[in-house]
Amino acid sequence: MVIAELMYMNPHLITLFIVVPMAAGIGTMFLHRLKPAQRVTGMLFLLVNLGLSIAALMTVYRGAAEHGGILVSQMGNWPAPFGITVVVDVLAAIMLVMTAIVCLGVFIFCVSQLNDQFAGGYFHPLFHFLVLGVQWSFITGDLFNLFVSFEIMLMASYAMFCVGTTRPQMRQAYKYILLNLIGSTIFVTCAGLLYGQLGTLNMADITRIAVSGQIPQSAVPVIAMLLLVFGIKTAIFPLWYWLPDTYHTMPAALGGLFAGLLTKVGAYVMIRVFVMMFGHDQHVVDVLQPIILVSAAVTMFLGVLGAVSMHSVRRILAIHIISQVGYMIMGIGLGMGAMAGMSDADMSIKVMAVTGAIFFIIHNMVVKCCLFLCSGLMLQHAGSDDLDEIGGLLRRTPWLAALFLIAALSLAGLPPLSGFFGKWVLIKASFDSHYYWLVGFAIATSLLTLLSMLKIWSYGFWSSPQGEHVASPSVRPRTTGGIVAIAMLVVVAVSMGLGAQGYMNVSKVAAETAVRPRGYITAVLGEHVLDEPAKPPQAKQHPATFDARLAESNPY
Amino acid sequence: MTILIALMVSVVFASATFLMLGRELKGVCMGVFLLGHGANLAILASSTSPIGRVAPVLGGADLSQLVDPLPQALILTAIVIGFAVQAFLLTLLVLTWRRSQTLEVDELAQQGG
Repeated sequence: MVIAELMYMNPHLITLFIVVPMAAGIGTMFLHRLKPAQRVTGMLFLLVNLGLSIAALMTVYRGAAEHGGILVSQMGNWPAPFGITVVVDVLAAIMLVMTAIVCLGVFIFCVSQLNDQFAGGYFHPLFHFLVLGVQWSFITGDLFNLFVSFEIMLMASYAMFCVGTTRPQMRQAYKYILLNLIGSTIFVTCAGLLYGQLGTLNMADITRIAVSGQIPQSAVPVIAMLLLVFGIKTAIFPLWYWLPDTYHTMPAALGGLFAGLLTKVGAYVMIRVFVMMFGHDQHVVDVLQPIILVSAAVTMFLGVLGAVSMHSVRRILAIHIISQVGYMIMGIGLGMGAMAGMSDADMSIKVMAVTGAIFFIIHNMVVKCCLFLCSGLMLQHAGSDDLDEIGGLLRRTPWLAALFLIAALSLAGLPPLSGFFGKWVLIKASFDSHYYWLVGFAIATSLLTLLSMLKIWSYGFWSSPQGEHVASPSVRPRTTGGIVAIAMLVVVAVSMGLGAQGYMNVSKVAAETAVRPRGYITAVLGEHVLDEPAKPPQAKQHPATFDARLAESNPY
Repeated sequence: MTILIALMVSVVFASATFLMLGRELKGVCMGVFLLGHGANLAILASSTSPIGRVAPVLGGADLSQLVDPLPQALILTAIVIGFAVQAFLLTLLVLTWRRSQTLEVDELAQQGG
């Protein structure tokens, strides 16, 4: 409460979302010989992080009705399009809260289940730097800083992936690193070219240009290339091939962290870029909307077919990530194209689609992470995660079985659980926008998801006891900490099902920010910008405008 | 000037792609590094020509005569990040060589690792 008040009074406090994990990362690096101290420090910082993010969400959500409710901090007090801007709106805040929860769960799991020498003893600093990258990419206000935060996040993930690993992991690591590097290079090229076309990289400024219809047609190919970049990160069809090969080779705890955060950051950025920024430009929507929608359908359907054909728990879960991403970008594709002269009914369909996508992202962060952590404990109990070699885990660990079942049914979308509401809203939105074929794909995918989850359940938990350690009760891995972590995440997942209305309301306000970006633009750039008369497109003379605008706002 | 840089960018991108399509990890990594340089050149090319303009220092010349400093700031940041990534990849290459005594993708696959 107090922090929320403070944050409203002094929006510069939102930079704490960068400072806190950075301090934790550097602190734990110096403590790397003192494991207990590292754990305590890490835990402390993650709790602070959770508190801050909840405070931020309360501030922006309550403020949304009264004064736009967007917290903006301009670094070094340089006015908006010139300096570095950090923004927390409801969309960023809800992501921050979910990230903090997922990180806390994974952290408890890692501390209790991974050995101290994991990642060469540098697990803790890497973990916090990963969190730093993720949080920064949620709150950044310009495209170039988005690139920088992606790099921090990816660098931490490369290191976690490679340091002190076995040979097969190393070989998969090359695939992951090289592909992401190529993606990043394309991203930075796109950022440079966009700056050449638009004369700005500030998200609010680009949104302003898009809303006033001044995006030159020559910028459309560059924007389409951005889809390639974020498509690689999010693993959409046809850019998904790296994901199933890499995620199942890493330890399950890490799989939970990566599955819960990394692809979801990609989906979040796609909402920012393709719904909020460029979703208001007719040319961009004409080119990209069909691509995104077709890709969504193929991604979700082929992903789930892959999952049905797999026979190892972690492989099934890894390829399921792809299938779930399909739903997210389905919402993004449907939510694109909110134009100024649109009727209220059409507008509310767009808002509904984006609401569904946001709800689905936050639901998936928690549930997917949970399932990966469950697979880690299954591996510890049975010595394998191939469904042909394990069985009877229900009798061995009833708690794990119960938690897995709740998470799995939630992912499949059985009614009182969270997955159902996300899918329901998305399917309703695509029904209302007359994309009936998309509805068909979504429902078929949902059924097959249930099938593949029940496959894990019936082979792994329900069948007769089988597997290395299951038959011999003398060997019993210590899993209490892991169970506690999973239980925490399951409680959050269940609350998202039983209290879906609350989460849905927040997602709806978040979606409004993206579909009707007026509040975001004025919060970042100041009230006056939208009242200026529309200027003609200025593709080639931006340095002149840049200088003129710099002169106007000269801080000296 | 712009056309010249654009041609250079295309040549650099083409060579990088050629290198990355190889079956030897050292070459692939070099290709990725080269791609980064191509990206930096592309940013430079997309900003306006600096000919006839002065350094962006406030208080000196007329504001309209200054070079736009932002693309150069972007390139500088990209170079720094590129450095870190290159150091990381080279370390990984050395480690792979020490473990497997080869950097050929096919031989690595045969070794099961």
